[in-house]
Amino acid sequence: MMFKGLLRFKSAVLPGMLLSFTLLSFAFLLFYTLYLSQDGDIFTSIDERIYGLLKFTLYQAFLSTVLSLAVGILLAWALAHQSQFKGRGLLVALFSSSLVLPTLIVVFGLIGIFGRNGYLNQTTLFLFDTSFGSYLYGLGGILLAHTYLNASFASRALLHSFESIPKEKYKLAKSLNFSVFERFLYVEYPALKSTLLSIGSTIFLLCFTSFAVVLLLGGSPSYNTLEVAIYEAVKLDFDIGLALKLALIQLSISAVLVVFSSSFRVGLSNLKTSHTLIPWRETKTLQIVQWLIIGVFTLFFVLPLVVIVLDGIRADFTRILVEPLFVKSFMTSIMLATVSSILTVIIAVLLSNSRRNFSLSTRLEDHPFSKVLNAIIAFSGNLYLAIPSLVLGLGFFLMSQKYDGSPLLWSTLALLTANVLMSLPFALSVLAPAMQKTAQRYDKLAFSLGLTKRQRWFYVEYPYLKSALAYVFALAFCFSLGDLGIIALFGSDEFTTLPWYLYQLMGSYRTTDAAGVALVLLVLVLTVFILLPRLFRSERVKSN
Amino acid sequence: MIKTIHLLLLSLLLSITANASDTKPTLTIYTYDAFSASWGPAPKIKTAFKKEHNCTLKFVGVSSSIGALRKIQLEGKKTKADILLGLDTSIAQVAKKTGLFVPHELNTSSLDLPVPYEDDTFTAFDYSYFAFVYDENRVKNVPDSFEALASMPKDFKIVIQDPRSSTPGLGLLLWVKSVYGDKAGEYWKRLSPYILTITKGWSEAYGLFLKGEADMVLSYTTSPAYHIVDENKTNIKSVAFTDGHYGQIEVAAIVKSSNQKALAKQFLAFMHTQTFADIIPTANWAYPVVKGAKLHPAFDTLHRPKSMLLMDGSTVEAQRKAVVDEWLRAIAK
Amino acid sequence: MLKVTNLQYQYKNAENIYSYELEVKPQEVVAILGQSGSGKSTLLDIVAGFVEPSAGSVILDEEELIGLPVEKRPITILFQNHNLFEHLSVQKNILLGVSKVLKDSIEEVEKVQAILKEVGLEEHEHKLASKLSGGQQQRVALARVLIRREPILLLDEPFTGLDEKTRLEMLDLVKKITLEHNLHTIMVTHEVEDCERIANKIYEMQDHSLVAR
Repeated sequence: MMFKGLLRFKSAVLPGMLLSFTLLSFAFLLFYTLYLSQDGDIFTSIDERIYGLLKFTLYQAFLSTVLSLAVGILLAWALAHQSQFKGRGLLVALFSSSLVLPTLIVVFGLIGIFGRNGYLNQTTLFLFDTSFGSYLYGLGGILLAHTYLNASFASRALLHSFESIPKEKYKLAKSLNFSVFERFLYVEYPALKSTLLSIGSTIFLLCFTSFAVVLLLGGSPSYNTLEVAIYEAVKLDFDIGLALKLALIQLSISAVLVVFSSSFRVGLSNLKTSHTLIPWRETKTLQIVQWLIIGVFTLFFVLPLVVIVLDGIRADFTRILVEPLFVKSFMTSIMLATVSSILTVIIAVLLSNSRRNFSLSTRLEDHPFSKVLNAIIAFSGNLYLAIPSLVLGLGFFLMSQKYDGSPLLWSTLALLTANVLMSLPFALSVLAPAMQKTAQRYDKLAFSLGLTKRQRWFYVEYPYLKSALAYVFALAFCFSLGDLGIIALFGSDEFTTLPWYLYQLMGSYRTTDAAGVALVLLVLVLTVFILLPRLFRSERVKSN
Repeated sequence: MIKTIHLLLLSLLLSITANASDTKPTLTIYTYDAFSASWGPAPKIKTAFKKEHNCTLKFVGVSSSIGALRKIQLEGKKTKADILLGLDTSIAQVAKKTGLFVPHELNTSSLDLPVPYEDDTFTAFDYSYFAFVYDENRVKNVPDSFEALASMPKDFKIVIQDPRSSTPGLGLLLWVKSVYGDKAGEYWKRLSPYILTITKGWSEAYGLFLKGEADMVLSYTTSPAYHIVDENKTNIKSVAFTDGHYGQIEVAAIVKSSNQKALAKQFLAFMHTQTFADIIPTANWAYPVVKGAKLHPAFDTLHRPKSMLLMDGSTVEAQRKAVVDEWLRAIAK
Repeated sequence: MLKVTNLQYQYKNAENIYSYELEVKPQEVVAILGQSGSGKSTLLDIVAGFVEPSAGSVILDEEELIGLPVEKRPITILFQNHNLFEHLSVQKNILLGVSKVLKDSIEEVEKVQAILKEVGLEEHEHKLASKLSGGQQQRVALARVLIRREPILLLDEPFTGLDEKTRLEMLDLVKKITLEHNLHTIMVTHEVEDCERIANKIYEMQDHSLVAR
């Protein structure tokens, strides 16, 4: 009975399970390589400096999470209550694009505005003859960048929660004459709670393993996180022993956090917003407050991007675009992004296909091990949250030392792996529910008609999954294109990507060139992210 | 049978000669980005060197001087580097200890150096003095000593480099150490609030300064020359410190795994010629090490310290880790 | 002849055991009455193969069906909804009932046209399934029954939600098909009138057991 079920669905279950076990063994191999390479005194010599690093890493992650959630709640609340205005849909879509914005671009834009010589200070100097000085480097800058990246993504998810609150509850609140706070406390907050928990843990994990932001805005070794410290240990000190120690600590903590939070962590999906909320208008004061919130945040969000455009337009593109290093970076980036996106889509589909077998009554839900297997596959898809880029990079680096092979091969392998792993959690959170839905809807019919695999895929799955697939592809593509993580360890003049090239430019004093390349990267990312899903529209799934 | 061997030998010979005539040897030099950039010394050096030696000269730029060393270490035996150029005498000992470099076998006794320096593996090619650089159009009140710096108003910001990756970064550390001795840690604690940010390399720091993000940057007494000569601007100046100035003698060495050792040696020798010495001042903005080299008139306007503070390489190496750790602890928040 | 003998099923976490026993002759419509949740749909699930019983057998003309995978069972089943692939045409929906390849042959297309005539949907073959009315959609589903030529037809309350007139038309169509094509039809419903209109035998779910009325 146990194996009969598996055999029946073998073509659906097996590829995914094999992949899942491959991923898990890879993770284990990584951990093992790291563990083997160190001297064994890891537990005895966690000195004061490492302890300080750990404290700071946790501290900034915690603060960033709190800030992002706070801003996210405010913004979602304001948007939820201002549900009808021109361009709302566009604004919300823009906010969700923050997920794919390359961190490098965001930091570059933020420096342009909030830097000591940025537009904000220049304006206040001009108008009020005061400058806010420099607050961007250090904890302030890190928090600012993290909030920028995560608050928009948080607000998107929270908005969905707000909009799922039944109208009746609002009517009840109004009839009981609730104040704004009471309404929030009794009607809105309960609906937000679970999302807050899941989004919060995701954001915490992302900030805990944050690299590019801390690298660029940290400003000094005293503001380093574990990730940056690993990078510095390898590239600056060539102290592999220290790097290993840090990597193992980082890995252990992230793994624990991921497992601990998996029960309430959920990703995001390509949600459509509904437009009706409360049929009456808020009070005038409230409206002003809400508009202020929306306005300020939109400004905060859009200005850095505008700055990049303004500064970038002035760059000398005729020179930049033909620079051989630029061309090499561009080609490498595009190729890596394409390959890793294709891989991500395939792996995500196979994993999701396996997973839904264990959660559908028409398939293997009643199978004795289905819950466990489901959880294992889910975990293997979310590996990236447990294994941050630099740790992965260190592992690959050690492997490249041990096993011969051209450095180019290892670099490509490292980057492809990192890019796929990085996109997988998000890809799964989009595809798994979608594939679950189509199976729920059509399984019985398809089975009773005896459709072949090809027929099933072509006629039943693909038409409904088209836009989800395109979205996942675009997401993975943009993640890969804009990533400054593992490339920091492997980047060189021979192996360079656009973000790496941009980072080099930012470090030299040719800043107009940097602005030009930043603009290219921004345009590329936004184009792919916005255009691609539009080209592949799915069948709309009718609700019952 | 004989015929086949004949043919084989012939084809082998042909292939060898074909290879030899088709490809010129390539000499690869790892250095810091400002040196290898198209606006740095690299292009001029390439042209000059190729006039006398038939080869391809390739510069690989890394974002910091010590970073170039680390790159060679990371690449291990497979490194393509023949020469590492751009470390200074303070960090040369560390490089020597890696065992990745071989003696240059050159006679360097006739070089013009501010402080005597002799080493069998590393040889000098230019030098300069560390100083804080500022823009007199933006900042009117500049400190003229370390004490004055630590007493500036709280919104005065400087940008410095990381001593683990950048030779100026290490230079500042050693400078403070030679002025304050055991009290260096205490001083860094006082200086810490004025540090805007700590960059990995010199270029990044200088870029931030030029963008107006900081009031002063740790650079060289010779940096203003670039702005005078290339940009016709006289507002960038260096501050003369009453504490004296720590200096930097930049060096180069041949990589052990290189297949072009003979050519590399010729390059090191080339660094001691008049031709090279003529290129350096207005391309790398530093003082050449060849006796009797002529300098651009702009150099006359630069502050030239009477003497160079410079600790001997082995002394530096003995305490480097401790000094860096002391620094890390002092600037920790 | 379709014989369901001593069929037993137990839901997980439930204490009750459902048991079924019935016989269906060719050209017969057997109706199963009962409230929602009484377990009548489960019988269809078992016969169709979606669910395994804990005991008992389902035999069609000497062949045991229990143990066969869903796609090998000689049945066609009609659900209350989701009988069609809404984004596909009528023709494609019907053809997916039989063809195993992606491309349709000319003979198959002609077959479809003939069958559409039989269910009264001539000229509708290229219409998108989502554009059809509820009644028309169920006609297409019945057309699929015809093209498959499987001896067993299972109906799980397929006409709930249709207006009176259409429902009666559909019921008559089911009767007609059953007679003309020698089908063994089991229909699950909660409408007594439906049963009385076309059923040869009526069973009821009482106390988790199937009893004849």
